[in-house]
Amino acid sequence: MSGRDTHTCNSLSRRDFIKRSLLTASALSLVPLASTTSCSQPHAPTGGMVNDNSGTGHLIRQGFKGKPAKVVDLPVAIVGGGVSGLSAAWHLNKHKLSDFLVFDLAAKEGGNAVSGSNTISSFPWAAHYLPIVNNSNTGLIRFLEQQNIITGFDEAGLPIYNDYYLCFDPEERLFINGHWQDGLVPSFGVPEQEKEQIAAFFKLVEDYKHKTGSDGKPVFEIPISQSSQDTEFRDLDKQSFHDFLLAKTWDSPYLLWYLNYCCKDDYGSTLQDTSAYAGLHYFCARRAKAANAESSAVLTWPEGNAFLVNSLSKELKSKIRTNQLITSVNLVNDKVEIVAYHALTQECIAYRCEQVILATPQYINRYLLPPELHDSSALQAFEYSPWMVANITVTGLTQYKGEPLSWDNVLYHSKSLGYVNACHQHLNRYEDSYVLTYYLPLTDLPSKQARHAIMEKPYESWVQEILADLRPAHPNIERMVTNIDVRLWGHGMIKPKPGFIFGKEKEQAAEPLAGKIYKAHTDLAGISIFEEAFAQGIGAANAILKLHAETAGA
Amino acid sequence: MRFVFLFSVFVVATCGLIYELVASTAASYLLGDSVTQFSTVIGVYLFAMGVGSYLSKYFKSDLLKTFIIVELLVGVFGGLSSTMLFIGFNFISSFQFFLYLVVFIIGTLVGLEIPLMLRILKDRFSFDDLVAKIFSFDYVGALLASLLFPLVLVPFLGLLKTSYLFGMFNAAIAYFMVDYLRAAKKVKVMLKSSSVAVVLLLCGCFAASESILSWSESLAYQEKIIISKSSKYQRIIVTRSNDDIRLYLNGNLQFSSRDEYRYHESLVYPALFKNPKARNVLVLGGGDGLAVRELLKWKGIEHITLVDLDHDMIELFKQNPLLTDLNSNSLNNPKLSIINQDAFIWLKQNSGKFDLAIVDFPDPSNYSVGKLYTTAFYKLLYDALGEQGSAVVQSTSPFFASKSFWCINNTIQSTGFKTTPYHSYVPSFGEWGYVLCEKHPSPMTDHPVNTRFFNRITWNSMTDFPEDMRSDTQEKNKLNNQVLVSLFEHEWSRYTHLQ
Repeated sequence: MSGRDTHTCNSLSRRDFIKRSLLTASALSLVPLASTTSCSQPHAPTGGMVNDNSGTGHLIRQGFKGKPAKVVDLPVAIVGGGVSGLSAAWHLNKHKLSDFLVFDLAAKEGGNAVSGSNTISSFPWAAHYLPIVNNSNTGLIRFLEQQNIITGFDEAGLPIYNDYYLCFDPEERLFINGHWQDGLVPSFGVPEQEKEQIAAFFKLVEDYKHKTGSDGKPVFEIPISQSSQDTEFRDLDKQSFHDFLLAKTWDSPYLLWYLNYCCKDDYGSTLQDTSAYAGLHYFCARRAKAANAESSAVLTWPEGNAFLVNSLSKELKSKIRTNQLITSVNLVNDKVEIVAYHALTQECIAYRCEQVILATPQYINRYLLPPELHDSSALQAFEYSPWMVANITVTGLTQYKGEPLSWDNVLYHSKSLGYVNACHQHLNRYEDSYVLTYYLPLTDLPSKQARHAIMEKPYESWVQEILADLRPAHPNIERMVTNIDVRLWGHGMIKPKPGFIFGKEKEQAAEPLAGKIYKAHTDLAGISIFEEAFAQGIGAANAILKLHAETAGA
Repeated sequence: MRFVFLFSVFVVATCGLIYELVASTAASYLLGDSVTQFSTVIGVYLFAMGVGSYLSKYFKSDLLKTFIIVELLVGVFGGLSSTMLFIGFNFISSFQFFLYLVVFIIGTLVGLEIPLMLRILKDRFSFDDLVAKIFSFDYVGALLASLLFPLVLVPFLGLLKTSYLFGMFNAAIAYFMVDYLRAAKKVKVMLKSSSVAVVLLLCGCFAASESILSWSESLAYQEKIIISKSSKYQRIIVTRSNDDIRLYLNGNLQFSSRDEYRYHESLVYPALFKNPKARNVLVLGGGDGLAVRELLKWKGIEHITLVDLDHDMIELFKQNPLLTDLNSNSLNNPKLSIINQDAFIWLKQNSGKFDLAIVDFPDPSNYSVGKLYTTAFYKLLYDALGEQGSAVVQSTSPFFASKSFWCINNTIQSTGFKTTPYHSYVPSFGEWGYVLCEKHPSPMTDHPVNTRFFNRITWNSMTDFPEDMRSDTQEKNKLNNQVLVSLFEHEWSRYTHLQ
């Protein structure tokens, strides 16, 4: 009896003991938390979702057609104020054809190249750099020269880029195997065999860079339309980049990670979802030579490509109509009538135009154009990747060992593309706060499902996801973040899926309509980069200038 | 009562492991090579515990009283262990011996605890139950300590506060154990008041831990610290030993008053001898006012513009009597205008033209400072000078970092300047380098000046570079390719690693 009693008593006291010691332990761990200043406790950052105009944009999907209160004559209309539309406008204006208006749905023109700013810095909301330009791209080089982005040419005729716009050193780093290494090609802790495969890939790139097709044109050129038409190389578009690599027996996980990262970075799509042509184009089409920079150099600004947008639009301010949704484009008699709906005043105006440039993506055009003018089934081939972009303000960023904060900071084993330091091009020596622009293309689900999924995700979940993604490389990140703003891009950029770039659907969609409606958008090039947008805009503007020259001549 | 005793085993075990971890971590901080430090400290500690266990057999009576005294000793030694190590490091030449001695004392005392407790409790439990309980609580305590230490204690409290806190726990155990002691009242009162004294001592240390830490840091400077100040941008420390005043920024020596005249005369006079008619002078960096002091001695200089980012630093050198004595009150001179702005940004916005610019920035040890040594910066400098203008640039040591020095020279040359690289010996720095930059080369003139080091004849030797200060590097430092930072880091690391 007494024995059992003791036993019960002991086991009770043991449980009691453990309970008490746990309490003591937790008290111990709480005391220091409470005694250190309250600001060291994790606090929720300020910020929220940034409006992406998708609300107004969705009106046209719902079949909304404005009822115009008046009709106005307008020689030329440009629908869409992204880089394609603004390039067209800039080119028209330069050639003294200035009777036009540019319509844009957003409160500020720029499309994917818009920016924001806070007390620390300006920052991009999407496109944020331009690689130095191939010397064959004379049109773009002239534009850059005019904007003092190219300041002159050396004796050999090579462009001298503006020191302040070339990306400063240190440019890129990668967090891999617990360490920040220099550059993005994995090397820290990478086995020799895999390094050999990586080297073999870059040797192939070098070969392709200087290869020309049977028509004497480069195999890979920017814009893509200037590339060789040789079917031997165009056939690279028929297979996925992934299959292309496996056929070469390149299966190194580090190499595949890197190339998958590059596809996501440039196209928002995975290795499997990107054609081999597009995947190689990223590496093999850049042959720029400059007097004062390496061929791989890039131009960048705190506000990203909004800098280029401002260069394009600064002389056009009176011609840009923002907050205006075009709800329809129709042929009326021998003119093109577009209806513009003002999102703020709800006023509707019909414009009767000689010519119109549709600098809008094809997923919009299918709602704008009447069925008799075009075959909208071809537009099904256009697939766009959704993106999430966040601008994160941090104070006193701590990090693990290795390279210091760079312009582009990438995390191996992350779904995101890492972040870009928007303050990188600042000239001042001391900086303790930064704005980091964090990029996440959604590639896990098919684009349409992913689009729905991101629209439903609350702000707090995005914040938690971002912090969890950065934490392995930046311990205590939550204590350093003061603000996070999140912006969603439902149709971030065109996906160059296998078969798309040289497919019939794209070719068909690019055709002008009735000799009056011209199209300019990167989705018609197949890859979403500044150079393509610029070329698209110049191409459409030239077509109209030619018409006007003919009319004047007649 | 049994609970109290078992609980004390638990606390004592936690404390014991904490001291072991504190000593290992402190040794790693101070001596580096954490594998070796952890391994040897843990080895010595465990061995000492064995010694303590063995010694326990010599305590025949008054076991509880012995236990209480041991607790008080552990509280004092363990609680003050990290303090002793941090301070001892600066004073004791054979620090490793001291480290192992401290570890050995604490280990021995901790080794006494469990055997004593076993014997105290031996009549209250059956032997198998006693051994099971004591050792399980011992090991649970150890687990708790090993988890708390890296996750909570080091990040939130730091080593000093951690050891003070656990020292208080040991003393608290001693205090409560007195109640169970059968002894004369006088003895009990004495033990209790000793416990309270230990707790108060450690409490005091806990409260003063910030000053203890900065004091122990200050010992790392060989001289007496007379000013220690954190500005928005840097940690400013001024030390003094006898007549030698030294300025350190972020731990890097900026000048020693014994030989700074050599540096500042070398920086200022060659440019003035080449450009004697300079009237309007720009000084970038140099918030200590020492370069300005030399400039003000030159007749003909009408106006000096000083651009230095750190307002606190300027104020210090404007107001502190010791420092204004050193710079001859130059920063309060009416010929001087002071601008608190980032030099690069100021220069980019500047439209004025200067006859002479003195560029005195910290060495290019990181990408942020490296920007001030780029072609882009020197182009701005070129534009800020009049047609007959010239400049001089502090260019690190051509002996310790010859590639860096010549890289700076190349960079300046590439922006259109004609350069004259030169060097001088400054004992507290070593052989130091400068680059004189002119738009149009001009002859070296001679002037009567009141200098201790520089004169027209010394100049001849300053422009001669022996083989060990030459380099044929062709590198130029640009914003988009800061080669200088990696050159500098590489070259200086050979010397800093030796120390």
